[in-house]
Amino acid sequence: MTAPQRLDDRPGDAVQAAPLLDIRGLTVAFPRFGAKSVAALRDIDLTVRKGEVIGLVGESGSGKTMLARSIMQLIPEPGRIDRGRIEFAGQDLRALAPEELRQMRGRDIAMIISNPRGELDPLQTVGQQIGNVLKAHMGMGPRQIRDRVMELLRQVSIPAPERRINAWPHELSGGMAQRVVMAIALACSPKFIISDDATSGLDVTVQAQVLDLMRDLVIARGTSLLFITRDIGVTAHFCDRVAVIYAGQIVETAPRASFFEDPQHPYTLLLLSAFAQDARLRRYWLGNFTAQRTEGVAAAGCAFAARCVRAEARCLAETPVLRETKPGHFARCHFPVER
Amino acid sequence: MTPVPLLSVEDLVQTFPIAGSKSVVRAVNGVSFTLDQGETLALVGESGSGKTTVGRCLLGLITPTAGRIVFDGVTMGGSRSVRSPEVKGKLQLVFQEPMESLDPRMQLHQIIEEPLAALGMNRPDRQRRVREAAGRVGLPDWILGRRPAEISMGLQQRVGIARAIVSRPKVIVLDEPTSALDPTARAEVIELLIEIQQELETSYLFISHDLSAVRQISRRVAVLYLGQIVEEGDAAELFASPRHPYSVGLLSAVLLPNPKIRRETSIRLSGEIPSPIDLPKACYLAGRCPLVQDRCREVMPPPVQVGPGHMARCYRVDEVSRLERSVDYFGQFQAEANRILGAGVP
Repeated sequence: MTAPQRLDDRPGDAVQAAPLLDIRGLTVAFPRFGAKSVAALRDIDLTVRKGEVIGLVGESGSGKTMLARSIMQLIPEPGRIDRGRIEFAGQDLRALAPEELRQMRGRDIAMIISNPRGELDPLQTVGQQIGNVLKAHMGMGPRQIRDRVMELLRQVSIPAPERRINAWPHELSGGMAQRVVMAIALACSPKFIISDDATSGLDVTVQAQVLDLMRDLVIARGTSLLFITRDIGVTAHFCDRVAVIYAGQIVETAPRASFFEDPQHPYTLLLLSAFAQDARLRRYWLGNFTAQRTEGVAAAGCAFAARCVRAEARCLAETPVLRETKPGHFARCHFPVER
Repeated sequence: MTPVPLLSVEDLVQTFPIAGSKSVVRAVNGVSFTLDQGETLALVGESGSGKTTVGRCLLGLITPTAGRIVFDGVTMGGSRSVRSPEVKGKLQLVFQEPMESLDPRMQLHQIIEEPLAALGMNRPDRQRRVREAAGRVGLPDWILGRRPAEISMGLQQRVGIARAIVSRPKVIVLDEPTSALDPTARAEVIELLIEIQQELETSYLFISHDLSAVRQISRRVAVLYLGQIVEEGDAAELFASPRHPYSVGLLSAVLLPNPKIRRETSIRLSGEIPSPIDLPKACYLAGRCPLVQDRCREVMPPPVQVGPGHMARCYRVDEVSRLERSVDYFGQFQAEANRILGAGVP
């Protein structure tokens, strides 16, 4: 049994198609009463080409989900886009009317979130929930919907689809529920899918099955995927390009091969060191743990400086920019790691 | 190391009745293992494999249906539980969800102090021990007056660990201590657990499905599937040459952060873990296993010795070793990791 084509075998920079999603200088801020507003995202530049799988790695609070919601134009109140533009298939998403956006979500851009059972409506069967999307966006009739739902259930490898189509969400295991959510996302054959930590709640063997399925579907349909995760290990086997986000900024991004062969930002090395057996290396990159009183991110300097083992005086005074350290490989650091 | 293990578990069985039904949930079906002082045994498996139930039986939080647990010379069960005078304070537990296991209305120092109240220790001694435990896990004094909701999840888990070590236990059951945490907090907690063990010689029962953490912390690994240990052995050996199809499935699902290193296998498990209510008659994996034969569905395979201290419960261990090259993927990864992480380290 071999998978049709493995992303593992695809050279990281193979995808040279035109950009599908182009984000430039995106800054999202949350105003506070009587205080300076808090920036959730700062100067995000991100390009996703057609058929490309981008892994976005970060911890909670780093802005991963905020970026996904910005693309969907679903930023929670009172957050707003301060600067920057988001272009999807040549269209400026910020210029679209609410009705146009509503049409676009689910049809052109779909999102899969974690906690699949929480996302499904407990009072509708699997078939109804997938059908809703088809009815709203494709204007299909009942016959057509049923055929298409069956086809989708088969595509996401749900066994006995003729029985599952009438199943309720509570009757599904976590892995099955995640497949149903994927079927909903795929229903209108979107050009772009955002997966927000969608596999982290699953057991390891089920996660492997769902990832294999996601990869095969993406390759077969030429869909682009923004794969958001906390697990840097997954991105090594699943993505064409990897971006690391820290405190609302992309701190490193590169094609997969270059990223894992020659990681440059100390935060990336911190994430990687968690897998090392050598305690000396782990302890070096982890730095000395000290509980800090929480303060806002300093106005000047590198956002990571306070936790960085390599920080020097310059890091506290001068904000680093995301610069190209070698072809296609970008790092936001004054002193990137050299090897 | 003592000839008599610190903790021994023999044929542990735990079933739970289902209200209004004759069937029962068979959570644990004959689990045996031993744990020596200062060592770490990892129990790995998916949700529903009975990992947590084994941990709860050990602590006497539930009374096992059958089986024997001997801890530090004391046979547990009956009136002897974690609350008995001989055992009190010697067994502790760290939970998966730090926020849900800390009382939201208590200050952190009160939470850490709580296990000592049962030991009848006087107040100045208790306070000294709390400061010592808090210091050991890196919690500064100024934070101890706060409440759980005011601190990050990584810090909450440190409080959970401080609470576990404050009574100087001999064994700590770590029930998925890292799986709810962010990557950096996870790395810090693993580091802390390793340090504490080196310093205090505590034994760990490390319950987890995070296999790369298991490989870092444990000397021995037991793979649990539907309440049964299907393979057990030395961690390095089992990770390099798994002999049970289920272990192969688990290990090939581990994704290390290096695109070139992954266990390639022709043994792919299908489907998901079945319900522990209707257990398969013979081998529990028969329904998912690509190497299944008729006998696997008829008679439960006995444990087979496949190497020194290495056991697998499968008829087809030889077929598995024929199909699976013995490759130390973790070792390969470590060599690469040393090169990558070694750059720039003084």
